[in-house]
Amino acid sequence: MSFKRLSISISFAVFALYGGLILSLLYYYDGAMFLETLGSARTLFSIRLSLFTATVSTIIAVVVAIPSAYALSRFRFFGRQLIDTILELPMIVSPVALGAVILVFFNTPAGSFIQDHGVRFIFTIYGIFLAQFITTVGIAIRLIKAAMDEIPVRYEEVARTLGASPSKAFLTVTLPLCKRGIIASSILTWAKALGEFGATITIAGSMAMKTETIPVAIFMRLASADIEGTVVLVLMLIGMGMGILYGVRVLTGKALPV
Amino acid sequence: MPKIDLRNITGQALKDVSLSIEDKEILALVGPNGAGKTTLLNVVAGLIGYRGEVLFDGVAMDRVPPHKRGVGYLFQDLALFPHLSVAGNIGYGLRVRRFPRDVIDRRVEELMEALHVGKLRDRFPYNLSGGEKQRVAIARAIAPFQKILLLDEPTANLDAQTAKYFRSELSVFLRRLEITTIFVIHDLLGAEEMADRIAIMHQGSIEQVSKPGDILFHPRTHVVSEFIGMPNILDVDECTVLSTGLVEVRSASLRLVLPYEGTTIRKLAISPHDIYISDTKPPGPALNRYKGTIREIIPLRTLVRVKVLVDGTELLAELSRETFDEMKLAAGSTVHLIVKLRRLRYFEV
Repeated sequence: MSFKRLSISISFAVFALYGGLILSLLYYYDGAMFLETLGSARTLFSIRLSLFTATVSTIIAVVVAIPSAYALSRFRFFGRQLIDTILELPMIVSPVALGAVILVFFNTPAGSFIQDHGVRFIFTIYGIFLAQFITTVGIAIRLIKAAMDEIPVRYEEVARTLGASPSKAFLTVTLPLCKRGIIASSILTWAKALGEFGATITIAGSMAMKTETIPVAIFMRLASADIEGTVVLVLMLIGMGMGILYGVRVLTGKALPV
Repeated sequence: MPKIDLRNITGQALKDVSLSIEDKEILALVGPNGAGKTTLLNVVAGLIGYRGEVLFDGVAMDRVPPHKRGVGYLFQDLALFPHLSVAGNIGYGLRVRRFPRDVIDRRVEELMEALHVGKLRDRFPYNLSGGEKQRVAIARAIAPFQKILLLDEPTANLDAQTAKYFRSELSVFLRRLEITTIFVIHDLLGAEEMADRIAIMHQGSIEQVSKPGDILFHPRTHVVSEFIGMPNILDVDECTVLSTGLVEVRSASLRLVLPYEGTTIRKLAISPHDIYISDTKPPGPALNRYKGTIREIIPLRTLVRVKVLVDGTELLAELSRETFDEMKLAAGSTVHLIVKLRRLRYFEV
């Protein structure tokens, strides 16, 4: 078998693995149950909560990630390597462990002060934002930095000689040039936030109609041996994620004049 | 347009560079790769750190950031913004400096017209040829009414023929703008076509600053002489116009026939590279061909230079090591020299 065929076959094998697992859900699929679960107030709340929190935490993560990624991409400063390493944390540490770290923090005097005098994160929607933000911001920075690394510094130098201040050069040249990279990074960040479970359940808990996101709802159904209900929610989560990812990819796939 | 003074510039590849460029002057920086030419442009633009002083019209610029120096810079790689059209690129500097809309439109139109890119207004850089990109990049560099223009190898992306035409066009354009210009170029001939003065750089230092022609005929250091190819400089004693549009010049006992351009030739520069050497008498007319004796052989890495005595005049010729080995030349050997007529350079009055 040629190398080309071998590599294509392996990629199809991976597709078959995922496809097979998704198809296996249909074994427990019940049409009437699907509509009933989908139409229930609890499910609709979970969908709304998941979409809302994933969107908000993605916006915050991307807003924080853009300047951080720019600094890491363009400047050499003390502690740069350390920051770069820390960004790997969400990738190497389990989300539950990250959630536990946050939980422990809110049980320290500093954390208690924030809880008492600022925003209450534990068992609230703010906890979901925080969990999703913490688990996605590192990845967002990494992805956006990769997009910025692709843009030669020379464009900014040209902009500077033409009268643009550093921030203006960034806003008028670098940012538009890595627009596609930022959009792609945002989509992946959003998808990661939408499926976030470990840190969310650790910080925000699993209170129905309050902090129950779709992944948490899936866990709750599974825990109560409700296989059919679980299948419905899993299919919904997959459908939502894939649909939006595909849609945005098509929308942003239009060739830019670059 | 300001006068530029560089005082004791040190840093990166530069070693204590001091240089003054007069108001509206066009100065060429010439030198081999790694001489520090582009680094010096970056210092003037304020894009890199340095020690020393940069003054525009006597005002220190060392703490002035690049966007406030008023220096237009044509980078060697042009770096046209890929997300902006031709008009967008040219107008960029005017927009970030918040010029009124009508001023921007007028200036962009005027520059597109002057640099013959008017028809390309809405095209994007990926859709332009090398020459078109060059013109757009120059228009962009000067659009925001810059006081100084820096050009790094302005013809590097063009073929030889286009480059020659573009150099003369650019020279006329810059003189009309009356903008103080420093440009980097790697060949002396190109520099002579455009510049008021030429600075030769070598290993981070300025070796010589002279008017065009002076460098070729009066190289002040061995480094400059090496850079321009160690030309044979001959003082012309007599000039006799021949009837066929040619002139015969005599330098000591050597006689050469050259194209007659209506001027009296005082000096001749013949590059050693342009003197063929042969161990047998070449066929054909005896015009600009001489017989001589080898006085000295100077082996270099890939070349061999040979000093040949021709009727009392010493000429330096250059040939590849391979050819030299084939001919088995030695000091005292008799050889025949052929001078390439077209490559002669004159110092005229």
